[in-house]
Amino acid sequence: MARNTYKEDELLEEPFDIKQLLRAAGYIRRYAGRMTLALILSALGGIMALFSPMIVRQALDVAIPAGDRRQLVALVLMLIGFYLASTLFITLRSRTMVHVSQNIIYDIRKDLFAHLQELPFQYYDDRPHGKILIRVVNYVNSVSDMLSNGLINIILETLNLVFIVVFMFLVDVKLSLVVLAGVPVLAVFMLWIKNRQRRAWQMVSNKNSNLNAYLQESIVGARITQIFAREEENAGIFRELSERCRSAWMTAVRYNNLIWPGIDTISVLVRAAIFLFGLLLFGQGAETLGTIVAISSYASQFWQPIMNLGNIFNNFINNIAYLERIFETIDEPVTVTDAPDAAELGQIKGRVEFKDVSFSYDGKEQVLRHVSFTAEPGQSIALVGPTGAGKSTIVNLISRFYNVNEGQVLIDGVDISKVTRRSLRSQMGIMLQDPFIFSGTIEDNIRYGRLDASIREIREAARTVCAADFIEHMPAGYASEVKERGALLSQGQKQLISFARTLVSNPAILILDEATSSIDVQTEKALQQGIQAMLRGRTSFVIAHRLSTITGCDKIMYIDQGGILESGSHEELMARKGAYYRLYTAQMEGLAS
Amino acid sequence: MNRHQSKGQGAWPFPKTRIQWLWEQMEGFHVLYVFAMLGTLLYNVLQLTVPYFSQQIVDEFLSGPEAAAHLRDHRDTFLWLLAGMVGITLFRVIVVYLDCMAYEHASQSALYRIRNFLFNKIERQDMKFYSTYRTGDLMTRVTGDLDAVRHMIAWVVRAIIEAFSLFAATAVYFVSMDPLMALCLLAVAPCIFLIIYFFKRKIAPMHALLREKLAVMNTVAQENISGNRVVKAFAREDYEISKFDEVNSDYRNTNKKTMFTWLAFYPEVELLADALPVILLLVGGMFLIGGRLTMGQYVAFSGLIWGIANPMRQLGNIMNEFQRFSAASRKVMEVYYSEPDIRDAEDAVEMKERPRGKIEFRDVSFQYEDGNLPVLKHISFTAEPGQTVAIMGETGCGKTSLIHLIPRFYEPTGGEVLVDGIDVRRYRLHDLRSNIGLATQDVLLYSDTIDGNIAYGDSHITREEVVRFARYSAADEFIAKMPEGYDTIVGERGVGLSGGQKQRISLARALAVRPSILILDDTTSAVDMETEAEIQQSLRELDFSCTKIIIAQRISTTKDADQILIMQHGEITERGTHEELIAQGGYYAQLVKLQNGESI
Repeated sequence: MARNTYKEDELLEEPFDIKQLLRAAGYIRRYAGRMTLALILSALGGIMALFSPMIVRQALDVAIPAGDRRQLVALVLMLIGFYLASTLFITLRSRTMVHVSQNIIYDIRKDLFAHLQELPFQYYDDRPHGKILIRVVNYVNSVSDMLSNGLINIILETLNLVFIVVFMFLVDVKLSLVVLAGVPVLAVFMLWIKNRQRRAWQMVSNKNSNLNAYLQESIVGARITQIFAREEENAGIFRELSERCRSAWMTAVRYNNLIWPGIDTISVLVRAAIFLFGLLLFGQGAETLGTIVAISSYASQFWQPIMNLGNIFNNFINNIAYLERIFETIDEPVTVTDAPDAAELGQIKGRVEFKDVSFSYDGKEQVLRHVSFTAEPGQSIALVGPTGAGKSTIVNLISRFYNVNEGQVLIDGVDISKVTRRSLRSQMGIMLQDPFIFSGTIEDNIRYGRLDASIREIREAARTVCAADFIEHMPAGYASEVKERGALLSQGQKQLISFARTLVSNPAILILDEATSSIDVQTEKALQQGIQAMLRGRTSFVIAHRLSTITGCDKIMYIDQGGILESGSHEELMARKGAYYRLYTAQMEGLAS
Repeated sequence: MNRHQSKGQGAWPFPKTRIQWLWEQMEGFHVLYVFAMLGTLLYNVLQLTVPYFSQQIVDEFLSGPEAAAHLRDHRDTFLWLLAGMVGITLFRVIVVYLDCMAYEHASQSALYRIRNFLFNKIERQDMKFYSTYRTGDLMTRVTGDLDAVRHMIAWVVRAIIEAFSLFAATAVYFVSMDPLMALCLLAVAPCIFLIIYFFKRKIAPMHALLREKLAVMNTVAQENISGNRVVKAFAREDYEISKFDEVNSDYRNTNKKTMFTWLAFYPEVELLADALPVILLLVGGMFLIGGRLTMGQYVAFSGLIWGIANPMRQLGNIMNEFQRFSAASRKVMEVYYSEPDIRDAEDAVEMKERPRGKIEFRDVSFQYEDGNLPVLKHISFTAEPGQTVAIMGETGCGKTSLIHLIPRFYEPTGGEVLVDGIDVRRYRLHDLRSNIGLATQDVLLYSDTIDGNIAYGDSHITREEVVRFARYSAADEFIAKMPEGYDTIVGERGVGLSGGQKQRISLARALAVRPSILILDDTTSAVDMETEAEIQQSLRELDFSCTKIIIAQRISTTKDADQILIMQHGEITERGTHEELIAQGGYYAQLVKLQNGESI
């Protein structure tokens, strides 16, 4: 699958079907108790409200013609009672539903976020981050109302409708049939509009997602934009994305705004029909005034829930476009999962073995071909070779960020695909090329390596990696706030903090992937002592371009073209006069000349 | 979070009020919007006519002793009344549709305008702004908050007009039918304002808090997504989940509290609205018995009672939404009216031709606003056009801060930085920056094709040129090997590429603008030595003249420079050529020994 950018809409891999709604029902089911309570309360409230036309009819048909003021007052008191009860029930229902709806959003968002944590690098690499973010924040907010109140309102309005129909039939069967005659017309109208509307809202969600992607990238990359003085051009791109959002929206609301007038028209036609049929056909005094007024009142009460249903329907159609995206993310396959019978990996001693490992990121281009090697506990292994040769891939496979396509990766003789990822990774210390720093204090960032590390341990780690000096020079020392992405730190400082973070995690296996590239030679020299202390007793893998940093490793593997070209100690490889020898002498000449 | 902001008690910090500002954003759509508002008025009045027709029908053809005779003799009139009822409804429905679309049109246009304006604003901000506002927070302003502004134009205003016009029209109609009955009903209405007033006071701070919580959640999610590699590397998924859980449940609870605040007022509002039909039945019933009111009039009152009751019910909602708009618009306006400290001077000089590239630092000192230590102290040096100046020094010694002063990312706190003899503050930012090529340490690529990334600074260059610049930076070889070559899309931040590959693309991107001043901030740190030598060679053979400022760690990168500056703790401690510095026997000489020594 090609990578997605802000320029393209994301294809929806799965068409919407009823299963999605059933899944949504899964979230609702957890609150079945409260939902039922809310339904009962609403039904009670609805019934109370339905009594009022009856009371009014009683008053108009009986009490008033008879001039019975006492009965009138009694009826008024009854009316007040019903209203009080109705308001009470509806308020209680609303309170209950606030709980339910907010909990449902919370649950969906929680599941979505938790699932995102499981997804492989690939997922994040394949799409702009703004497109992921909009699902977690904006989309979930949008669907909340539909899943909670929307759903309960559908049930309620439907129930309401049933009650009204029953009451209506109790009053007059023939006139009721007239009222119901509008329904098929409405059904045809809704069917016509539904598909168009749904497609239109999917478009809106796509365009918003594109806009969000570009926005997020632009904010993060503002400095690059400025240095290339590209503000105008970017603003042009944004304007176009913005325009697409606007026109998608305008198309979509066109359908939405048709629904209400449509229902309204049908309802008035029905009203006219009641008068017409009531007076002309059944008329001639057969129907009482009270009956006509009551039916007319029920008719408007009958159309009210239908209009409400129309609104809910609108809401549904808008939000299904979002719901689809949310479930799509939750359904995104987790490629690296714990096997069902995965065992906990015990304390790692540090023997790492690749047995005939082949790997490809995309299934087409082989990055590693039949790689085999063994690292004994405590050994330090250096990986050298041209960029893109597969060095990072090898270390990624040790941490099982990807599954191997062929062969096995064993740690202490155990296939790592058979143990839990947590037990594996929590014992590995990985220093990535990009030293990502979280917003928060320096202390927090170092503690990220081990959450229960004491401040003393944190300081010690910082000292070992030569970071203590600059940290203590900062205004608030370890409590200094580093902004988003560590904006106020130099790249080298970020690497040192990231180093300390790894050190504090006290890993059994250490992986340093170009960990010191931005650190000056002087500091690195000092850092080497820290690193040596770190390497002691731990199996380690070091990727570095500065060969000076790896000559002391127990084993050097020269990686090229997806395989190990040469392997051995520095002296052995130098004696061999192969690729490593050439690389090393070239570096020496570069330095010497 | 930001307590003082969420309270919002201080003086209004913006030149316009919310409404003035909103009106200004609708420029070009003012007439349309006024028509939309009139349309709302119209259809609400029209809505009252249906009951008028039904009243006529009931009075003429139903009640009264001669109803049957009427029906027989005046069947035409009866049918006309029905036709009028239906016809007016159709007319009204069309008005409603057009009216809704007009609101949508006006609100979308305003949204479009504000959104683009904000984007422009955000893009031109200085570093101070970016260290104040987090990405997630800014995104909330441009999406969620802006949506509340849109909602104000599209819905809240309409609801207000609807409520008031419906109320007023109904009131007039009621008074025209029976003033006493009308008065009895309308007497209830003022109470609603009292309730709304108390409601407003309670709900306003809730909305401010709520949008704050949303921004926080957005920020946490955003950072988690950006840092997904670190999360996985440390197996911190559970920790991240619990961190997110905290903000997620915080947002939920604040949402609940906000809604409960509304629900505390709901019964009062609802009962007040319910009082109307009660009064009608009691008083109207008495009047009917007393003969003051006709049955038709009673039916009209009863049929229209919602015209008074619904606006009252709606008012609570309106206030709720208005407060949401208030909280959000403030956040939007904050960005809207923000001005970067670093901007074009009023009397900025135009850069008429390509600068020659002379760079001069005159006694430059610099300190970050929130730092208490100077980062640069009295820096002076000159780079003549075409020269190469190398800067070396320990991590955190101020190298990057120094070069950031040339494109004016920051302003010096003392001294001046000059390009071609003119203070950089006197150039237009656009002129200055478009003549500088900078490849940063922390490489940020866009989720676009490799071609698009290299041509970022000048999107008009041809593929041939892109390839040429990729060759300069020794990137052509690996790019050509990729399945889709230059059309390969790299993920956000160039994930999927190795550090060295990203750096080389970033270098090609900087070269592609053919700058007069090329600044390389440790751009080849992750590139292997052989490739670097290749890059050094092509940098010497560029087909355009440019002054180069190179920050590097390796002697091999710097030894051929015309001038090498050694920095320590924000000061230049040594300067000279490779040979001169070796002769001096200082830090540089040591460095040479160190790098050579350990390698031999």
